Amino acid sequence: MVGWLKTILPWLLLAVLLLLPKTNPSDNLIRLLFITAVWTTTSLGWNLLGGMAGQVSFGFAVFFGLGAYTTALLMHAGHSPYFGFIGGAAIAMLASFLIGLPTFRLRGPYFVIATIGVTEAVRVIMNNLDVTGGSSGYRITEDQPFSQNEHYYSAIVAVALAVLVSTVIANSKFGLALRAIKQDEDAAADLGVNPYTSKLWVHAIAAGLTGIAGGIYARRAAFFYPGDVFAFQTGISILLMPVIGGIGTVWGPVLGGVIYGMVEEEISVKFPNLHLLIYGSLLIAIILLEPDGLLGLLRRVFRLFPSQQAKTKLAGNPG
Amino acid sequence: MDAVEYLDLLLKSLLLAGVYAAMAVGMTVIYGVMKIVNLAHAGFLMLGAYFALEMFQRFHVDPILGSVLALPVFFLFGMAVHWLLIRWLPKSDTPTLASLLLMFGFWLVLQNIAYLIWGNEDQSILTPLTLSSVQIGQISIPKVNLVVFAAAVFCMAVLQIVFHRSWFGRSMRALIQNPYAAQIVGVDDQKTARLTFGLGAAFAGFAGGLLGMLFSFSPDFGRPFLLRSFVIIVLGGLESVSGVALGAILLAILETFGINIPLPVYWHGWSFHYLPPSYQQVIPFALLVVVLLILPKGLSSLFNRKWKAA
Amino acid sequence: MRGTLIFIGQNIRRASILALALGGIVTLCTGSSRAAVADDTIKIGVVLPTTGSESKPGQYQKEGIELAIKQINDAGGIMVKSKGKKLKVEEVFYDDGTDSKKSASLTERAMSSDGVVAVLGGYSTALGTAESVMADRYKTPWITTGAGATAIFGKGYQYAFGSLSPVALIGTTSAEFLGSLMDQGKLKKGLKVAMVVENTDHGTDYVQGFTDWSNKHPGYFQIVLNEKFELGATDFSGILQKVKNSHADIFLSDAHLPDYITMHRQYLQNGLHHQMVSYGARGPEANARQALGAGTDYIFAGIWWSNMLPYPQAKKFATDYKAFTGHDVDSWYAAPAYDGMRILAQAIAAAGSLDKTAIRDALKKAQLKDSVLPGQVLKFAANGQSEYPFVITQNKPGNKVDIVFPKDAATGEPVAPNPNK
Repeated sequence: MVGWLKTILPWLLLAVLLLLPKTNPSDNLIRLLFITAVWTTTSLGWNLLGGMAGQVSFGFAVFFGLGAYTTALLMHAGHSPYFGFIGGAAIAMLASFLIGLPTFRLRGPYFVIATIGVTEAVRVIMNNLDVTGGSSGYRITEDQPFSQNEHYYSAIVAVALAVLVSTVIANSKFGLALRAIKQDEDAAADLGVNPYTSKLWVHAIAAGLTGIAGGIYARRAAFFYPGDVFAFQTGISILLMPVIGGIGTVWGPVLGGVIYGMVEEEISVKFPNLHLLIYGSLLIAIILLEPDGLLGLLRRVFRLFPSQQAKTKLAGNPG
Repeated sequence: MDAVEYLDLLLKSLLLAGVYAAMAVGMTVIYGVMKIVNLAHAGFLMLGAYFALEMFQRFHVDPILGSVLALPVFFLFGMAVHWLLIRWLPKSDTPTLASLLLMFGFWLVLQNIAYLIWGNEDQSILTPLTLSSVQIGQISIPKVNLVVFAAAVFCMAVLQIVFHRSWFGRSMRALIQNPYAAQIVGVDDQKTARLTFGLGAAFAGFAGGLLGMLFSFSPDFGRPFLLRSFVIIVLGGLESVSGVALGAILLAILETFGINIPLPVYWHGWSFHYLPPSYQQVIPFALLVVVLLILPKGLSSLFNRKWKAA
Repeated sequence: MRGTLIFIGQNIRRASILALALGGIVTLCTGSSRAAVADDTIKIGVVLPTTGSESKPGQYQKEGIELAIKQINDAGGIMVKSKGKKLKVEEVFYDDGTDSKKSASLTERAMSSDGVVAVLGGYSTALGTAESVMADRYKTPWITTGAGATAIFGKGYQYAFGSLSPVALIGTTSAEFLGSLMDQGKLKKGLKVAMVVENTDHGTDYVQGFTDWSNKHPGYFQIVLNEKFELGATDFSGILQKVKNSHADIFLSDAHLPDYITMHRQYLQNGLHHQMVSYGARGPEANARQALGAGTDYIFAGIWWSNMLPYPQAKKFATDYKAFTGHDVDSWYAAPAYDGMRILAQAIAAAGSLDKTAIRDALKKAQLKDSVLPGQVLKFAANGQSEYPFVITQNKPGNKVDIVFPKDAATGEPVAPNPNK
């Protein structure tokens, strides 16, 4: 019963999201869902590398920004925006190899710190690059009128793709290999997993998803600049979402993306003087009280009221 | 540029390195003992600057003395933070994501509290020292930088003595080298961790006061210094005080000289060009990445290797 | 079994603490809905940074807007013909945290769902540019009170306006001012100029304006150094060394306040000296004078407004502002925001309805005749940007500031060359 519900629920959710614009919702709801979908896509991407393979990167802003710039430049050259998104993904993946090839030789804190160095260096270089408008940023102008729904659909498709990719990886041999790397890299290597190439590939997939999200974001924002898309802060936001939601799972990052996309803006609008305090405290509370994120919390709450079947299981399992 | 000018720049970058070292050392001790990358470090720096400012404005305490007074105050503050938040984190011998984000969340809270107390003014500390300088031949050295440098070096020397001579210092070093063996021989790791976090916070507060004498600050202050601290402690190999000093010197020199030394460029034949100053901030981060790739354990591994060989 | 109970017990405690915290936040968030407010007010969205690196100027601009709103409401509100009565203005404020993603998002939110008839805001070019996109998208008038880069307005936008004169004009006016000093013989002609500006649109426009004037008037300046620096730098000794080596006579920079303070400190400590020094639109700020003391004396600045302007309405604005906020008006930031709100109010009254397009049409024609800004008239050019003259101020000893250029607004004589040693 429960298992059946679990398979049907995501499809139901997708159907609701796709049919939503037909019901004439407010512009604001569509906008919030768009933002949520974009951030959830990056969150799922980050989670593949950070959650499943355990490689914490602060550098995802690079892929987000490259996706944005590539899409904008391709659109400027007269290509369709959808070709732009794919191009953004491709360039982000290429960059992920350039970054990953040297840095994945590093372990633990050194990898984390290297990713910080890369983002900052890329940001300053992009600020000075004349081809992309340097620090003035880049502006996308489209001839066709602004269509709220078109942007919305492209973001929903991206997030559905991200969920699909995550689910497939989580249930595959590749996913197992990633989890083995997270547990113990040396042991994984002994079991015949090549940690280096596995990390490179999952990094590329994660970067591709983030690049698409960056492109979709950029097309709707229509203006962006390096101090924004390549900011350290952007990288931190991308990593906060899966942590808030529940790291290493498929639905945790989605939950985190929803919190970030919807709740954070509400907080900052309602409490212009206290939003940092509230958001910071929320983060502290989640980390100290529920290391598995909100998804872990939900699981616990449901376990408090277990079905009969689960109760007997628990009873049969002392300790 | 002539030799005197290079000497001038060299002196200035060395003076800057003193503050850089003081600011990074707090991060290093916390990392070394507890394997926590303290993202709230920037928040401590900012509070330290405001502490020195308040002492200066309300009680007319010289900001150098104010910075030194920040040491005990922030020591207690750090211990309280440890008691309140950090001791609940699961222990680990590599930095965990949880610890990173806990400190990030705490940084946000500190920033917001500072906005509530001090508002968003760009504050600064102006003393008679601030704008005067010592003239040696053609070289002029800002007095405030000299004093700040002296204070930083003095406190680092005291730290080094604590590190090597006291029971607490020995416990810390034991925990850095081998946490398991240290506990077996009777080091109380919780207590040492608490003291260490206090010490790290104390140095952050102290360095914050010193930075407050050199720069203007607001509650948003500290971000560029946080990133520089990262670079320095990585250059220094993450765990040693002398490594930090070395990393700080290297960073300060490269930052200053990076745009003043002509670089050979090949573009339709060889020619010499200066790096445009707008690229100055690439230097620390590019340096960071390069050093990590060549020497994954930091600069001091070079020396350690030699010592081991000897 | 006991183990299970303990397990569940711990779960309940931890889960309930967290659930409580979350529940609290959610209730707080959904508690008061903005849409519920009665519709006999005119809602104006204000999107400005009050946290983050631009928070101080953002704060000043917010205060300027709020002062205007208070005065309008004290006078009974704005007469709206279609409603047949005077309506009060209600401010809906959003803090974007100096994050352009948020600026754009919050502007969009204000325009699409919070029912505002117009949005004011966008301090600093980057944040303003991000917001400008939304104006035409939602056909809602948007007036930036803090973004002066021309790049925002050259795009054929129909709903975007700006109450700041173009930044390039600071450069031009500065050049004109220095040129006039040369004509008077206070400075020699053909002086060498070193320019070190921030790597932003603001810096680029400033340099552009200065070099344009210089090219049109050969013989006045010789630009020997033109470099950019990244925002938020900590160490300027390298770049100041370049300034020293360029042997310039005039030092021109264009910087944000924290960078101005840091750079000028290091400038003074390094014993640099030039006949004239400027930091673009920064100079007379109270925080800078507190940070640098007498070190800021004789710095000149090209700014959009000064409390030294001799108009009665400008004096009144300065007094009202002090009574309203409890502190003196600091440099120019509050004035364009104040007038931005006032010209909007005038346009709403002229439109006679709360229809956004009608207000836009009225804004295009609007002329604020008692403007506090230089020239005393605020109006928008065809591209939406306003163009009024800049004033050049110079800091004088004892925390005094004088307008020294143009002549008809001057409150004191320019001191040149800089007598500081």
